[in-house]
Amino acid sequence: MASAGAAGPFWRAAGMTYVSYSNKCASMVRNCLKEPHRSEALDREKVHFSISKWIDGKPEKPCKFLIFFLLSSPPFFLLGFLFIE
Amino acid sequence: MGVLPGHVPTIAELKPGVMTVHEGTDVSKYFVSSGFAFIHANSVADVIAVEAVPVDHLDSNLVQKGLAEFTQKLGSASTDLEKAEAQIGVDVYSAMNSALTG
Repeated sequence: MASAGAAGPFWRAAGMTYVSYSNKCASMVRNCLKEPHRSEALDREKVHFSISKWIDGKPEKPCKFLIFFLLSSPPFFLLGFLFIE
Repeated sequence: MGVLPGHVPTIAELKPGVMTVHEGTDVSKYFVSSGFAFIHANSVADVIAVEAVPVDHLDSNLVQKGLAEFTQKLGSASTDLEKAEAQIGVDVYSAMNSALTG
């Protein structure tokens, strides 16, 4: 197993998260499939998302006294989630 | 690692590789891209993977090409992240290669 003091798996040490590692492995496997299965699998890989900047009303940089309110509001949380990947 | 009824409850992280399922006398092999296997106390085992394909769905030419490409990238990688990606590529493609030839 991992020796004591090892920073975990090599990809974690290089700054990659498990989710990105797993998705990369999956996309490599998808690229090696035989034809009919390959197009079905590549369809599964497509991700649809939309990003929007909030300026009027909900500024990206919240004012001090609104901090706790904005952190708990859905739009801020969603924006954070989209940028994490 | 083999799992039979009565296996100790386990959570295992899976590396890219082959998983063989025996149903009575039928044996099917699946290539799992990575993921986890959970074996519960009631002998139910769950395997969670992003991609799990029957080994016959893999195309060996594409696997060979990919292996050569990533081995070459590993040699020329400079940043940590590039090295990690190239290493992942080499691991996954060599596992697919052994699945097809083994």
